[in-house]
Amino acid sequence: MNSAGTSAPPASAALRAVHVTKKFGGLDALKDISIDVPQSSIVSLIGPNGAGKTTLFNMLTGLYRPTEGSILLGERDITRARADVITGYGVARTFQNIRLFGAMTATENVMIGHHARMRAGLFGAILRPPWVRREERETRARARELLAYVGLHESVFDRLASQLSYGDQRRVEIARALASQPEVLLLDEPTAGMNPRESHALTEFMRKLRDELELTILLIEHDMKVVMDVSERVTVLDYGEKIAEGEPAEVRTNPRVIEAYLGRQE
Amino acid sequence: MSELRAQLREWRDAVQKRLPPWRSRALAGLLIVIGIVLPFFFPPSSGFMNATIIAVAYAVMALGLNVVVGFAGLLDLGYVAFYALGAYSLGWFGSGFFFKAHVHVLVSPVTRTLPGIHLNFILLLAGAAIICAVAGMLIGLPTLRLRGDYIAIVTLAFGEIIGVVAVNGQSVGVGGGMTLTAGNLGISAVDQPYFPGIGLFDLLNLRPWYWLILAIMLFVLFVNLRLRDSRLGRAWIALREDEIAAVSMGIPLVRTKLLAYSIGAAFGGMSGAFFGTYYTEVNAGQFQFGFSIFILAMVIIGGLGSIWGAVVGGLALGYINNYLIPDVLNGLPGKFGLNFQLTQVEFGIFGFLLVIMMLLRPQGLIPERRRRLELTAKIAAEDSQLMEAQGTIGGST
Amino acid sequence: MPVQPLVAVRRYVGRWGLIVALAALPIYYGIHDLTYGYQAGYVAGHAVFRQDLSMLGYDLAQGLSNGAIWALIAIGYTLVYGIIELINFAHGDVFMIGSFTAVGLWGTFGLGLSTGALGLVGGLLVTLIITMIVTGSLNVLIERVAYRPLRNAPKLAPLITAVGFSFILQNVGLLWRGGSPQSVPDLIHVQQTVFSIAGVPIQRGYLLALAVMVPLVFALGWFISRTRAGRAMRATAQDPEAARLMGINVNATISLTFLLGGMLAGAAGLVYALYETNIWYFQGFKAGLIAFTAAVMGGIGNVRGAVLGGLIIGVIQSLADSRIGPQWTEAVVFGYLIAIMIMRPRGLLGEETREAG
Repeated sequence: MNSAGTSAPPASAALRAVHVTKKFGGLDALKDISIDVPQSSIVSLIGPNGAGKTTLFNMLTGLYRPTEGSILLGERDITRARADVITGYGVARTFQNIRLFGAMTATENVMIGHHARMRAGLFGAILRPPWVRREERETRARARELLAYVGLHESVFDRLASQLSYGDQRRVEIARALASQPEVLLLDEPTAGMNPRESHALTEFMRKLRDELELTILLIEHDMKVVMDVSERVTVLDYGEKIAEGEPAEVRTNPRVIEAYLGRQE
Repeated sequence: MSELRAQLREWRDAVQKRLPPWRSRALAGLLIVIGIVLPFFFPPSSGFMNATIIAVAYAVMALGLNVVVGFAGLLDLGYVAFYALGAYSLGWFGSGFFFKAHVHVLVSPVTRTLPGIHLNFILLLAGAAIICAVAGMLIGLPTLRLRGDYIAIVTLAFGEIIGVVAVNGQSVGVGGGMTLTAGNLGISAVDQPYFPGIGLFDLLNLRPWYWLILAIMLFVLFVNLRLRDSRLGRAWIALREDEIAAVSMGIPLVRTKLLAYSIGAAFGGMSGAFFGTYYTEVNAGQFQFGFSIFILAMVIIGGLGSIWGAVVGGLALGYINNYLIPDVLNGLPGKFGLNFQLTQVEFGIFGFLLVIMMLLRPQGLIPERRRRLELTAKIAAEDSQLMEAQGTIGGST
Repeated sequence: MPVQPLVAVRRYVGRWGLIVALAALPIYYGIHDLTYGYQAGYVAGHAVFRQDLSMLGYDLAQGLSNGAIWALIAIGYTLVYGIIELINFAHGDVFMIGSFTAVGLWGTFGLGLSTGALGLVGGLLVTLIITMIVTGSLNVLIERVAYRPLRNAPKLAPLITAVGFSFILQNVGLLWRGGSPQSVPDLIHVQQTVFSIAGVPIQRGYLLALAVMVPLVFALGWFISRTRAGRAMRATAQDPEAARLMGINVNATISLTFLLGGMLAGAAGLVYALYETNIWYFQGFKAGLIAFTAAVMGGIGNVRGAVLGGLIIGVIQSLADSRIGPQWTEAVVFGYLIAIMIMRPRGLLGEETREAG
């Protein structure tokens, strides 16, 4: 049984990093990291700033290539795969500093998320046969559904992303990630800048994603309340190394973890 | 000052709200009609028509560069390369230049007797587009991982190399005593367009030329509009806005960027082919770096990323360059007692316009965003009708 | 996809690959000269052939002195790029204005072919100082008007204004001295051989170029490493925000960078006028691209790299001129530029450029 109280899902890992190391020139950003994210679970990745969490995310999504080690999505080795291909395989992410496309509306941003699942190419764009028209209509409708699903009001659907409030932008980013119909969702500090009520709403939402859409969620978080509340498992990084892993309650009382966050007790 | 602007904006919005939703379509239709009947108000060989023809051809160029710089955000400073390649496609396959060959496809009876390769103009147009599309990909390939300013330099370097090849091509043999280009002397006696039933164009009657380039421009405009509101167009803008995020959302970087270069180049090539036949010669002196900046100025002044902006920019600068400055205002400095003609400070004027535009109104005359907002308001209205019909309105949280 | 093998090749090219590619031309022609010989001119109606390295030596000497001029201009590009990550497109044209100003001053001072040695040296020195002040100020002005207001705009904007200014300056040159290259008096008899090294004649022009470049480069190096203002430049280049927080006046530092770059371009302009005995409103555009190639080749942001790059490009140019034909030289230089940008954008001495955003 895990801390969420439900029976444990089958042990197959949706996403796995196996002995991953990343060096930038002389700097070791990540040293021999192995992490398993089980299917349909919510796992948190925590650690002080600079521990390498976002670097790990970047490797899981194909923006960086590991210096050593491999990354597996289910059975598939995605270590050397390009970022856009990995999205096609079913991994989606949000960013720590929201990276929406400012010159596009919220709806269009979400439609972009669906890019990998659409088929219209150059000639489809120019000739616009009926199937392309249908694809566009359906993508747009689906985008608006997703925006509603993440809790946005219709009035902002057609506003430029750069004109939305911070909270709304965060939601649009999640909707955009969901538009690619992922199996695995990586959220990078999703509750940054939120108040406790909003954070709680987000944790509820994450559970809903896991239960309704059968998503596997890996999140980077600094808000310990969220981490304790929603995670089935927590992995802790510090200076590029994994220093602890386990259920939230265990990790919280782990002395090495406390030391990493608070500094050595002299 | 800002109060005045706010007031103006309010008035403009009020006026816009009162106009019916089919306003923009009607306006576009009206412009097209005006465009078609325009020649009848001028004599068949008027200087104004000449300037207009050139201006419309420039608009096609601007539309092409707008795809590369405006949509995809790739700063291409070597666009003159595609003007050159388009024109040379015509010089090679639509004249007596390759005098050893004897190929004739759908050309006028007179042309059929001439040596060289002579293809029908539509074929030449398509050929120029294809050649430039391939060239665009080749030029774009090295720039894929580079940052913005480096892309500028590499494309500039390619443009220069093509210029050098154009000049020196007269010493590069391609067999049978023929050379690659005619250098600065130029390939002359380039074919004029011929359509069965319409006949052979000649430069005494500019009207058919005008309708031809207008048709080309409308075609390019149509393709542009379709592209912008498509999956590909969105992908370009996403890449422009944030390459990392775009790639993370599943947009293939290489393919999408290369498509931008190709399409932009193809349009430039089509316009270049037209220029080749209109000027009746293709010589290396026509292909200087300044031309790349000229087209870039059109796109920027018109509005980066804005299709209508590119058209307006192309037309405006085309007129200024070929009509306003040489014909109308040339003597202006003389009237102030200054010892030069306006044509001599042409490039300085364009440089100045670029600087002023960037400092005062970087979004250009017709900004991209505004149109976007208009369009989405229209789509939102359509979509909520759609969603009501399907019964899927609203959602749960 | 065609890109993957390219990436793999790039990884293996490295600095040595670049050096080999650069050395390829001189080595090839050196071997060619030694084995096949070359035509060194005509004597009594017969072509004279030689099989030694003296023609290569001549090319090298010529190339290095040309390169000294490019080095001076390249430093301006590299300093500006290092501090605000902008290609100062107008820099080459500032160089051209420098040449024009220098020639104009010769007229004002009455420097001509008949001026005595002392008067000539004095006059040229004064010309140098005034020209450097003019071009330095011009560069500062451009920064103030065209770049500073756009510092927070997307990178495209200042690049456009830079191009715009380049055009304005070119037009100024065009109006000043017309559209064709203008001959200027050969004040120092630039082609006179002073002495020979291993059979290679060393012309006055070569010595001039080096005599101007070397002290200026050293002075700049001293300035950057020993003075407070120089340290401010280095700090700002590394991290403008941190520099600001430490009390450095970033705006003034940037202006200073433009001033120094502009001054060097002015010096290059004077040397160019003396060396080529020819000025042209379009020379700045050409020189600018060559000098920028040099800056990139050496490693953009790195002053020593700019000097090295300038010299190397000068040699490549001179070899291309004499062996392949001057009408192709531009294509060769730009071919190298493109190859460097693809294979090793950070050049010889530059640092790793960040790849992922």
